[in-house]
Amino acid sequence: MVTGRHFAIPALLIPLFLCLPAWGASPPAIAPMTEAQRGEAVFLDAMSIPCPGEVFVALNKACRPNWATLVTPATAPVSTDRAQLALAVGVLAANGYIAVEAQDGQQVRNVGREILSVAKALGVSQSLMARGNSLMEFAENNAWDALADELEATENEVKTTMVEQKDRDLVCLTSAAAWLRGLEIASGVVLGSDSLQGLEVIRQPDLAARLATQLGGLPPRFKGGAQVSLVKETLESASSLLAVKEGRSKEELRATLQKIHDDCSAVMKSILASVTAEGSPSGTPATTPSATPAATNLSPSVTQ
Amino acid sequence: MKTRLGTRLKSGILFGAFLPSLTAGIAASEEQATTPAAKNRVAPVPTESRRLALETAGAFLNDGFRIRDGEWKGTLSKGVPLFLQVTLFAGEIYWFVAASPAQGGALRVTVYDSVGKAFKGEQWKDPNGDGGARSAAGVAPEKSGKYFVGVELLEQPNVPSADFSLVYAYK
Repeated sequence: MVTGRHFAIPALLIPLFLCLPAWGASPPAIAPMTEAQRGEAVFLDAMSIPCPGEVFVALNKACRPNWATLVTPATAPVSTDRAQLALAVGVLAANGYIAVEAQDGQQVRNVGREILSVAKALGVSQSLMARGNSLMEFAENNAWDALADELEATENEVKTTMVEQKDRDLVCLTSAAAWLRGLEIASGVVLGSDSLQGLEVIRQPDLAARLATQLGGLPPRFKGGAQVSLVKETLESASSLLAVKEGRSKEELRATLQKIHDDCSAVMKSILASVTAEGSPSGTPATTPSATPAATNLSPSVTQ
Repeated sequence: MKTRLGTRLKSGILFGAFLPSLTAGIAASEEQATTPAAKNRVAPVPTESRRLALETAGAFLNDGFRIRDGEWKGTLSKGVPLFLQVTLFAGEIYWFVAASPAQGGALRVTVYDSVGKAFKGEQWKDPNGDGGARSAAGVAPEKSGKYFVGVELLEQPNVPSADFSLVYAYK
């Protein structure tokens, strides 16, 4: 005879069964991004573009570069071309990171002074005086981590001031130049290794393409400049050269890297070249006359 | 990815072991404030979201991580994730930290590869939610390139939308 007890047991067990999957289940899988989400993802200068310090940290892990041999004298160009000056800020900031990696305090001070001189020529130096002083203090105390942070903060402050002064377009020039200077250094370091150690670090074709696109969207008054055109062309070329192509021999890779390195070096030379009285860039960079130590409250430049 | 740091962050935040680091950081910033350069500087006032995010990311500093100076900020609503494109390097370790002062909310940070597939890594979520919602994702990519970071609101806070700030640390 079927009694109420026979129904009671399944009645208790069925809800228990229903609950079991919830107990044992792993957390729900995260859905992949849709194409629209990827297309609409935010691209921020201060977050989406790695700072040179980040590139160099990655390079340090892949192969230990001799940073002392990579330090170059910090010299800002004499120019009234705002686009060129914005590019120069990026190059100088990257030079600062190299000096930090080399633990060369004097060179960091020189870079700080030159950044301030360019900032002054751009009319964005007011808020940067304290940054310059901090760079000096940290360099004197060999506070290398703090210096790296301060360099990034200085570069960002220049960019913020550009935005505040309705010069938003100049920001992408600074970022592009800093990245290309990092690429020049990184490609040189990789070329110095027989096994091309560190190659994986510099493979950023998407970023090169993105930066080139940003430069393509600049207003004609900036886009037409010689340096900006050269930077854009170099970014486009680097983007296609850095794209991973399977089956390339080491010789082909080396030749590719050499081209990237040479192109970047040519861009750096052009950015840091001062404009002569005739208006053409000279090969010798020089500091701006206004950038005297007294004006910037920093010590004179000493190159080692 | 299994890193010593991930373990440290989890246990550190759970058991308050990272407090000495934070205290040391505060002491250092107070010391810095006494230098002439710092005295002259008028620092921008960070938002509460940024303050919370930096406080959380500060736990990494003693492990040799560097925190980027920038931030990504926005406003979240439940069911509408937001995404940021980032460029990561092979061999580096990254922690993306998001925070919101909204009470009762829960955040999730996810890192996606270039085709939008969720990238395997470590996850951390503030278990208490005291003073807002905080969450972090740690990854160690094997390939350099483009990635995405997604932030979403898993639980609706007491307010209709929640301001958030995301910062990242790398080493």
